[in-house]
Amino acid sequence: MYPIVLLSFFGIVTLFLGFSKSKNILLPATLLFLIIALAGNFLEWNKGPLLYFYDMLRVDNVTLAFNGIILLSAFMIFAISGGFQDNPDSEPAEYFGLMLFSLVGALMMVGFQHLIMLFIGVEILSVAMYVLTGSNKRNLRSNEAALKYFLMGAFATGFMLFGITLLYGATGSFKLEQIQGFASNMQVGSESYILYAGLLLLLIGMLFKVSAAPFHFWTPDVYEGAPTIFTTFMSTVVKTAGFAALFRLLSGSFTGVYGFWWIVIAAIAVLTLLVGNIGATSQNSFKRMLAYSGISHAGYLLIALTALSKPSQNAIIFYSLAYSLSTICAFGVLMLVSKEKTIGGQPNEYYDAFNGLAKQNPLLAFVLTVSMLSLAGIPLTAGFWGKFFIFTSAAERGIIWITVIAVLMSTVGIYYYFRVIISSYLKEGDLVKIRVAPFYKVILVLATFLTILFGLAPGIFEGLI
Amino acid sequence: MISDFGYILLFIISGLVLLGVMLLVAKFLRPDNPNEEKLSTYESGEDPMGNAQIQFNIRFYIVALIFVLFEVELLFLFPWAVVFGNEELIAQTNGAWGWFAMAEMTVFIGILILGLAYAWAKGYLDWVRPKQQIPEIKSPVPADMYKQVNDRYGSK
Repeated sequence: MYPIVLLSFFGIVTLFLGFSKSKNILLPATLLFLIIALAGNFLEWNKGPLLYFYDMLRVDNVTLAFNGIILLSAFMIFAISGGFQDNPDSEPAEYFGLMLFSLVGALMMVGFQHLIMLFIGVEILSVAMYVLTGSNKRNLRSNEAALKYFLMGAFATGFMLFGITLLYGATGSFKLEQIQGFASNMQVGSESYILYAGLLLLLIGMLFKVSAAPFHFWTPDVYEGAPTIFTTFMSTVVKTAGFAALFRLLSGSFTGVYGFWWIVIAAIAVLTLLVGNIGATSQNSFKRMLAYSGISHAGYLLIALTALSKPSQNAIIFYSLAYSLSTICAFGVLMLVSKEKTIGGQPNEYYDAFNGLAKQNPLLAFVLTVSMLSLAGIPLTAGFWGKFFIFTSAAERGIIWITVIAVLMSTVGIYYYFRVIISSYLKEGDLVKIRVAPFYKVILVLATFLTILFGLAPGIFEGLI
Repeated sequence: MISDFGYILLFIISGLVLLGVMLLVAKFLRPDNPNEEKLSTYESGEDPMGNAQIQFNIRFYIVALIFVLFEVELLFLFPWAVVFGNEELIAQTNGAWGWFAMAEMTVFIGILILGLAYAWAKGYLDWVRPKQQIPEIKSPVPADMYKQVNDRYGSK
């Protein structure tokens, strides 16, 4: 609960810090705010389930773990943004303020205990993201992406709100445990159909936000059009929060009707895996490939939802952490490399921008390689154990066929993740030595180190949650 | 026994019926000899020209934005006022309730005011003005020559 209050306050402070003459104060101040929020988050560790805001928000160790991942990824992204110093048109104070506000929304989504809280959280997060997507005002692609994201997002929100309405109509409550009580003892009748319809509509809204197929159409365009730093934010923070919310929703309210929805989620997971992985193979742009890879990772996380058990909950936490770390690395290196050459005034985000990266920039090539290996799920990286935990949790539940499809699809993933490794090590290119700010380097090395550390010792946090 | 929603439904139905009946009665009673002038959109007004979908002045956007801001604020104030003045709750809490509700609303309005102040300070509320084009005249006759002419002959 502390980070929500703190970040709301800090967001306003950040906006007004933008008026100060020195532009260099913003980034350190924001990073300090995030550290304070992170510390405030873990003040409640092991205090047991606590309820806040008239029982609308629940804080337990699972919530705190998700909050920790979200705030840590946000910290890394803020740090590699470099305070937006290189662009004279930018409004760093507004970007940081909006990102802090969107974090408030993400934390609400993680800890909600009341559907209205979920809705408010989703909206706070989404509205800030629509604005940030279009923050590059002079760039047509960015404007187009923002408009697409906004229109489709607003539409999905409509579905979600209608779903919540129907759930309220069926159960007479917005509270998760009361819906749970109703759904567990429900007789088949008109009310059960309203509940099913409401659940499906709510799921559509949430699955849109985590870009699961067939609600993924906005993802490649929006990820490509948005400034890379906000794409990173979108693909880590939003995805983690979305899956935390989905897990809480399904495990908190709908275990009683598991037989109804698990096949829906399973079908969507398979579709998402197919669309994400096969779509990614045909991309020429690295950034667009990462968008499709984001879709496919949503598919893996959906498998963990179909299992819906204690191990699968831990698997989601671990996977989100592993995915966030490697995604930040991948986008971080992309931001550096793409600035070197431009095509028609745009940064070069194609695969060939990485040609010959390893010769002059061995560190960047190594960071990129580790993150690609982790995303592909190669052993000794965190990504491998993330996939491993998810597959075992699904297998324990007895859902073998979906695991088989997922393993097949992750071998497809190796093809497109290795393309960029081949580009950077084997192909000839004329990339010169890229100057990397020390802080940027620290963040990249830290994320890589954590990826390898969790790959070697995945049990490091076991038993904590 | 009908519920409150039932009454609303009754109102809707009776509204529709009343409208229909009145139009029908008027149809039978009125004289009916139209001409082109009478059938135009604004009778005895100007003839509409062109399309209604024109570019609106950007100024309306700011007006609308400020309107929405204060409208939402007011919408929240109404339900708050009811709870704020709830005598039962005030009596139960020895008056602490009123202060609590007051503080909550102060925080809410305070945040909105901060937002408004931010937009104001950033200049987002400034009226968008078209840039005046000052005509420049390049005359071969220097300006002070006119003055000299006026000084010499103007007084007479």
